[in-house]
Amino acid sequence: MAELRRDPIVGRWVIVETDRPNTPADYACETHTQKGGLCPFCYGNEGLTPTEIDSDRDLNTQANTPGWQVRVVPNKFPALKIEGGLDRKGLGVYDMSNGIGAHEVLVETPYHDKDLPDLMNEEIEKIISMCCRRSLDLVKDKRFKYILIFKNYGPAAGASLEHPHTQIIALPMVPKNAIEELKGAEAYFEFRERCIFCDMIRQELEEKERIIAQNAHFLAFCPFVSRFPFEIWIMPKQHRGYFSHLAPEEIPYLAAILKDTITRVKNVFGNLSYNFIVHSSPANGDTGNESYHWHIEFMPKLMRVAGFEWGSGFYLVPTPPELAAQYLREEKK
Amino acid sequence: MPELRKDPIIGRWVIIATDRAKRPDQFSCLAGENPPEIQPCPFCEGNESDTPKEIYAVRQKNTLPNKPGWELRAVPSISPFLRIEGDLDRRGKGIYDLMNGIGAHEVIIETKQHATDITELDEEQIAKVLTCYIDRMVDLERDKRFKYVMVFKNHGWSAGGGRINHSKSQLIATPVNPKRVKEELVGAKHYYNYHERCVFCDLIKQEIEAKERVVVDLDGFIAISPFAARFPFETWIFPKAHSCDFVSLDMAGRFNLAKIMKKTLAKLKKGLNDPPYNYVIHTAPFRRQKAGHWKTIDHDYHWHIEIIPRLTRVAGFEWGTGFYICPLTPEDAAKFLREVGV
Repeated sequence: MAELRRDPIVGRWVIVETDRPNTPADYACETHTQKGGLCPFCYGNEGLTPTEIDSDRDLNTQANTPGWQVRVVPNKFPALKIEGGLDRKGLGVYDMSNGIGAHEVLVETPYHDKDLPDLMNEEIEKIISMCCRRSLDLVKDKRFKYILIFKNYGPAAGASLEHPHTQIIALPMVPKNAIEELKGAEAYFEFRERCIFCDMIRQELEEKERIIAQNAHFLAFCPFVSRFPFEIWIMPKQHRGYFSHLAPEEIPYLAAILKDTITRVKNVFGNLSYNFIVHSSPANGDTGNESYHWHIEFMPKLMRVAGFEWGSGFYLVPTPPELAAQYLREEKK
Repeated sequence: MPELRKDPIIGRWVIIATDRAKRPDQFSCLAGENPPEIQPCPFCEGNESDTPKEIYAVRQKNTLPNKPGWELRAVPSISPFLRIEGDLDRRGKGIYDLMNGIGAHEVIIETKQHATDITELDEEQIAKVLTCYIDRMVDLERDKRFKYVMVFKNHGWSAGGGRINHSKSQLIATPVNPKRVKEELVGAKHYYNYHERCVFCDLIKQEIEAKERVVVDLDGFIAISPFAARFPFETWIFPKAHSCDFVSLDMAGRFNLAKIMKKTLAKLKKGLNDPPYNYVIHTAPFRRQKAGHWKTIDHDYHWHIEIIPRLTRVAGFEWGTGFYICPLTPEDAAKFLREVGV
């Protein structure tokens, strides 16, 4: 008998196939190999990108020249523009505003073919520190209400450039799913005076069956109400509202668990496409962060999402998260 | 300057990236490598024994169920996610809630010939498909365990159409109201409470006046590119006359809907080189409950069909955030589709 499971935060129901679950081999996921070619993110091609915003580079090297380890540049084709006023207006039943925001690209490494698992921990720490630094800089602009940090890796995940990169978008409004999560977490907090994510961590640590990896500060697990097979959440064990407020001593632990988790996924599925998104509290708002707990949601691209999911917001999950976690713990194909 | 636009029903913001917009003709679908079709096709006439036993059929007199002589059949899905037998058994597990996966999952085989797309059928046959949707929904409503029936079509491999190309649609009856539907219902009710008007009716009036997002306007139905489209060439079809429930569509209405569906889908097919697409019928949930029954739903909700061509690869990012970047303005999309002759 399949199970219907309900997300305790946003109230979404998903269908989990428990009778005849898919094994990793049942997913015909596209692994990909790098095509190469002229790449604007490669070492030595700094002139091909817009002028860099920030970088982590060797002493005595100049901006927009080699010598960097992590580099942030404006997106050449930004979805949002930094200059101008929001100019919110109505149009009959519709509401709109100018597309004000920032859209930056963080080039994770000078190497074209090194994804996170191929980097050393110290290199990943530099990426994480840079994400925090950019977030803290962007929230100084009071027009921005939310900083979205995400990664599309591989063609099936929507990456248009091969060279591993993370994107940072500053938005003038809070995206819909974030609002739902915030409201759901707030409702839970009002009733119980506890953070729902902290409760979730407690329950996961007790039940153990959905845990993939953990260290002193972070927990990686397959959520009970996954929307996608092998979906993974990485959460700080201590209650924290903002990703960008990561303490320096926590960063190595986050780098280690990220590397460990993605390595496990790739050992099971090969070089598959994936997305991850940092979910954090909104910026420049009046929401407190007692009830919200930042985390990373990692989604391997194993399936196509079909019409039923589009229309209903209902998801079909062919591998129960308990089984997915087991495969990832054991790195079994 | 890119624009941020807000969906007036559920409040979702989307970015219409006007500056980096591709021209509409640059979206046409690339021929991909799709896995081979299942042979012989289990949905063709003569192969009835390859499907589970039929639930519904339009057939000639003196023909037997699960034998040739039909024009349209509905059968249970070969690989259903939800099972029809059993109890819901709602329960909790710590902070989580769950219940058994009870539901119905059926496939509607739209024609006995091996047509690969609904646009190859004539209007009368499409009207029969619509009648089948309605009859199945009415039947499933009798099962008190179900709250909603979602009718949808996955056309083409990358839209989830699977390895059977034979023209088909699916329906799933669920024991809970799906989240997307709930959001629409809540949004529409909210608008109605304040304005005492249906938000969809207001939207249709405004679109007819503005004209620029209208794709087809035909015999009581209208197809538009929504103002806050999530995807290039996303298209919604509405009945102009207010109605919350697709099931109440009369015979004449079904024929007119068949006409606009055929025309709209044919435009997408011709203009975009037969793209994979999904359509989903958005309609009111079953309204049989007495206690706590939604009293204004007849007035505040308006059924419609949402068509989504699958031209861009949606990043998991869009799923995760509910935040969409649409690389084509709905005005350009509508203009392009208006000009495609079919």
